Amino acid sequence: MTGKPFEVFLTGATGFLGHYMLAELLAHPHVRCRVLLRSPVSKSSARLTRLLGEIGLNLPSLIVEGRVAIVEGALPDSLRPADISGVDLILHAAGNTTFHANGSGEPAKTNIDGTRAILDAAASAGIPRFVFVSTAYVCGEQVGHQLEVFRPTIPQLRNDYEQSKWRAEQLVWDWGQRSGMATICRPSILFGDSRTGRASAMKGLYLVAKATEILARAMDDSREMDRHHISLRILGRSDATCNVVPIDWAARQIAEIALEPATESSVHHITNPDPPTHQEVKGWLEDYFDIAGGRFSDATWPLTDANHYEDLFYSLGNICLDYFRDGLTFESQCAAKLSPGRRLIDGSSFARCLKYAQATHWCRTPSGEKDIHPPSDSFDPTWYFEHFLPEAVPRSVVAKVEELTAIVQYTITGSIGGSWISRFDRGRLEETNAVPTTLKPEFEYRLSYEDLVDVVACRKPLQDVFFHGSAEMFGDVERALKMVPIIGEFLKEFPVNGKENPLMECRTGVAC
Amino acid sequence: MLIETAIIEENVRIQGTERMLEGMLAYPNEHTEGTALIAGPHPFLGGDMRNNIVSSLFKALASCGAVTLAFNYGGVGASEGGPADWPAVMSKFWKSGTFDEEDDWADDTGSAMVSLRQWCDLPPILLGYSFGCWTTVKNLRDSCAKAIILISPNPKQHTFEQLSNCVAPLLVIHSENDFTCNVSETIEWFESIREPKTRIQLPASEHFFRGHEREVTQAVLTFLQLNHVLETEKHDHNH
Repeated sequence: MTGKPFEVFLTGATGFLGHYMLAELLAHPHVRCRVLLRSPVSKSSARLTRLLGEIGLNLPSLIVEGRVAIVEGALPDSLRPADISGVDLILHAAGNTTFHANGSGEPAKTNIDGTRAILDAAASAGIPRFVFVSTAYVCGEQVGHQLEVFRPTIPQLRNDYEQSKWRAEQLVWDWGQRSGMATICRPSILFGDSRTGRASAMKGLYLVAKATEILARAMDDSREMDRHHISLRILGRSDATCNVVPIDWAARQIAEIALEPATESSVHHITNPDPPTHQEVKGWLEDYFDIAGGRFSDATWPLTDANHYEDLFYSLGNICLDYFRDGLTFESQCAAKLSPGRRLIDGSSFARCLKYAQATHWCRTPSGEKDIHPPSDSFDPTWYFEHFLPEAVPRSVVAKVEELTAIVQYTITGSIGGSWISRFDRGRLEETNAVPTTLKPEFEYRLSYEDLVDVVACRKPLQDVFFHGSAEMFGDVERALKMVPIIGEFLKEFPVNGKENPLMECRTGVAC
Repeated sequence: MLIETAIIEENVRIQGTERMLEGMLAYPNEHTEGTALIAGPHPFLGGDMRNNIVSSLFKALASCGAVTLAFNYGGVGASEGGPADWPAVMSKFWKSGTFDEEDDWADDTGSAMVSLRQWCDLPPILLGYSFGCWTTVKNLRDSCAKAIILISPNPKQHTFEQLSNCVAPLLVIHSENDFTCNVSETIEWFESIREPKTRIQLPASEHFFRGHEREVTQAVLTFLQLNHVLETEKHDHNH
């Protein structure tokens, strides 16, 4: 490398991997980055400032120094040729991790259409190199040793996410044949920072850990079962592996690959050569939470005869380790550079990540803040159920439904999900507790975080979510159904949009 | 060979007892064949004219030539009225599953029957789903229907004595795991009612038939075809 500035256009900079990659790129003094941020840029740059601040970088200073420039836009619709003109490299890390397509058009819109748009722009602008962040799981159902090659024929894929990433790889590879040098990086499952445990998104293995925490909390109160002999079936095989990699290592590998001069298009697995087995992960979780007793089972999801502890463990949904598989290994030049005997994830780094996760309430609290606040740009179910409902319900028409006596569970699925149980007595909301709790629900509503956000904002009627959507009712369904109009009336009285609190408006007299 | 038939949909107003109701009327743009009225589930339990079963039947029947009317009960959507003291009514409903004002919704179904007859003077196919079974049967008179179709009736909750007022062919569709009324209770009630009648039990679709709308619709159309009420094979049922 010479001292001449090397300019990188980066997408997905506010993502879990993206901001770490930005930091790794900027660790090279000759690199300058243009980052694509969504509108309104005040909001997205505030997020990026916070994320970079957490890993020791000052975005405003970097902008003043000319190391970082912000480009406002979004893929696939609003990228102008001038935005990328003159850059040496495009590092396309923006992605959508929705596994199954829904009405929003994702994950295809971001992963396929977005990639196509930026490739077209790159071809028009004559950009010589394009680095694409894909996933190791474009191998789909295949087992055995996966080579670092582009697969021209589509394998059997397991969800829309994998399909969208494979299609995007195909577009990138074709671009490489026609217009420039294409580099595809395929990371496996991303986990927290190996040095600090930090993570800005917690999916995958984190959900298993969160479910274990739920179970451990229940055991704190349980007099019925010994916490070291819990009756729990874990769906999976003990010897299957869990290919997780630390976020800081993955970001460094991709940055190095991107900055290394390329002579031909190539594919790189950013994978763990010595991944932990299920059995190891189970042991780490048991040590951390001081519980034991689960056994691996070949039972299939959903469990139709689940016991109370299994209900708790699986209350976040199907966490039965879809990506933790047996008989799958990856060729990886990056992994080959690791010192012999060095493991990317071990018991102590795993515990560090769990500690960070708990300290940030599973990513609901930005680092450095002690109170639980919703993420700056999204609705927080914890706030809604634990703070808003107890304040709003007594003022609502629900309080006048004098015969209403019920114990209701709400389970919100997804990474910002959780489970809460409310007890109503003659119209009064007596208590709402996060699961685990000693309250035994009569019925349960289970819906996605996205549906919840629409329902509480009155953008989508609750009954539509049940009759036309993906929400479910469990337990005494007849009573659950009878409660729907009561909840519906409450929602009409107290709609909540994002972080807006209608109770605040009442206090100030703006609207009441 | 199924032939798709374009249908026309109109928003209509129905004069109810002291209130206007909103409705949807659909019919083919060419040849029409009979009429149909669909009464939906309980307004407190997801009952509106866009309910999954109501919508599915509405489009299928219109595609088969029937001038088809669906409507919203009083207080639902743009229909006027509804219970005045909502908390008190809801309280009673929570405790007992029923309340006096439900009779007004049965009257709404009667008003919809009258309007449909005024627009097209033919005995209609009468369809009720869940609570709509009761509101439909409550309005039965002699020779007032060409066929009667009851989907997920709940004889534990409601009486269906007026079924004997009308001898039109009757179809009862229910699910094997309906939480409102189990199979043996439904069969016992079915055996007690008048002929001619047909019973179809659908597997594991609960009370709501979510994801099973097509099976319900197909069962209805087949019944109507077998009873020479509609010539359904000319039309596309894939709506």
